[in-house]
Amino acid sequence: MRKVWYKENPALLVEMKEEIKDDFPNLHFYESNGVIVVEGSFPIRHDKKSLDRYSIKITFLKDYPKSIPIVEEVGGRIPRTLDRHMNEKGEACLFLPEQRSEIWPIGSTFLEFLNCPVHNFFLGQSLVERGEAWPFGVWDHGVRGIRDYYVQLFGTEDMDIVIKFMLFIIAPKIKGHWPCPCGNGKRLRGCHFPFLLELRDKIPRNVAQRSLQFLLEAKSGKRKLKDNLI
Amino acid sequence: MDNEKYLKEVLKSQTLSFDGPELAALQQHRADVENLLRDHFSESSPTIRYGGSKAKGTMIRDAYDLDIISYFPNDDTAAGVTLEDIYNNVRTALSKEYMVEQKPSALRIKGNSKENLGVDFHIDVVPGRYTDASKSDVFLYRSSGEKKRLKTNLDVHLNHIKNSGVTEAIRLMKLWRTRNGLSITHFALELLVIKLLKKRQSSSLTEQLEYVWKEMRDNIDNLSIEDPANPTGNDLSDLLSATIRSTLSYVAGTTLKGIEDSGWEAIFGEVEENEDNKTARLKVAASSVVKPTKPWLDYEKGMV
Ligand SMILES: [Zn+2]
Repeated sequence: MRKVWYKENPALLVEMKEEIKDDFPNLHFYESNGVIVVEGSFPIRHDKKSLDRYSIKITFLKDYPKSIPIVEEVGGRIPRTLDRHMNEKGEACLFLPEQRSEIWPIGSTFLEFLNCPVHNFFLGQSLVERGEAWPFGVWDHGVRGIRDYYVQLFGTEDMDIVIKFMLFIIAPKIKGHWPCPCGNGKRLRGCHFPFLLELRDKIPRNVAQRSLQFLLEAKSGKRKLKDNLI
Repeated sequence: MDNEKYLKEVLKSQTLSFDGPELAALQQHRADVENLLRDHFSESSPTIRYGGSKAKGTMIRDAYDLDIISYFPNDDTAAGVTLEDIYNNVRTALSKEYMVEQKPSALRIKGNSKENLGVDFHIDVVPGRYTDASKSDVFLYRSSGEKKRLKTNLDVHLNHIKNSGVTEAIRLMKLWRTRNGLSITHFALELLVIKLLKKRQSSSLTEQLEYVWKEMRDNIDNLSIEDPANPTGNDLSDLLSATIRSTLSYVAGTTLKGIEDSGWEAIFGEVEENEDNKTARLKVAASSVVKPTKPWLDYEKGMV
């Protein structure tokens, strides 16, 4: 069996502790039941001043850094509701998994994780708590957010075309002489080939696969696009 | 700024104003819980009193709480035959209106509606039964530890802390606990601080805190606490478990190192300003974000 990440690569854990200790002296690492967790208070800083603080817990699963750390608000301040993008376990949903490579690609540091998606998420919470809008917008919940993301990405509302594109992301390989999924009659080579090759690098296959599954279920009526929440 | 003055400023910024939204909400929830208990247990006519950091004078903005004590008469069985029955019956009654989190002797209440699901109301309900008709000492159920019951006395606890002479140090240590996500209970931390500072009540705050942290760092295994209401009868050892001790010791060590390297502001941060302009400043912070991110919600993970 594969060892957990911090036993396989103890240097990474040492590095993580070292890199955050000046900026986040109140976050501490613990080992608990074979996983590493970080607990303490997280400041929303601007101009070296903290504007607000949240009590948080971050869990690094066994397959870190492949998996995205789980971020929880443990102070009981943020309601576990759809509008606040917290599930009922109190886990934050920082971003769409599809966007990971833009936001926090594999190989990025824990400090970058704290300073970008975690900072943005809690900064947004503080504004929403004060009746303001989400500063950078939000994705719609569940399958609707996934649909919106791919609709934007492929520039079409035609779900059949969206699904064809997604199949080309998931396929083990794609070839230039295949017809392009955009439906303009050209071959891939003279059309969306470079675009798709880039996406295949960017979006992990299992992520696209899961999203496609949701979209197909929504299309067939098994999963409703509306009113399926709570 | 001089260190002592800095700590006083931190304390000031951690003081909740009497007409602020936090205490108003606390009061509303208190009234709701009290009505619920009186209504549900009308046959038993419980004595309802208030404890917690508000009553003890050790409240801080980052971690304030109210204990709602619900003690039943010693000859009452309508609320439950055993202490465990009482605890469970109170929990069931509260569950109709709140999300209830079980603590060893208390019940923490949180929001259970669509708008406030899981939001902490900063209230612990503590059910118990008076030991006799004089209505002074009580027995509490205890779900963890060796003994399943604690004998305690609310007034003894309140006075022990209120009259300790070190409530400012206690408040700062509670802030330190919260800021570092430590799992020691407020009660255990209060008892520990009072015990360690028994002969240091007139020392400065910086000396008091440094002493407490040094003891935690260097002498953690020899520290112990006793319940002032029942010093030999209640075993509080599980409040200072091996995990809690090693964590306290470790964080105390990094705290002392932080003071040495970067001064006191490294521990409690810059003194936080009041709410004025907070929204505008948050907006400025948002506008300077280089890489914006949009939250989503994966309802497959615990939402449907
Ligand atoms: Zn094309």
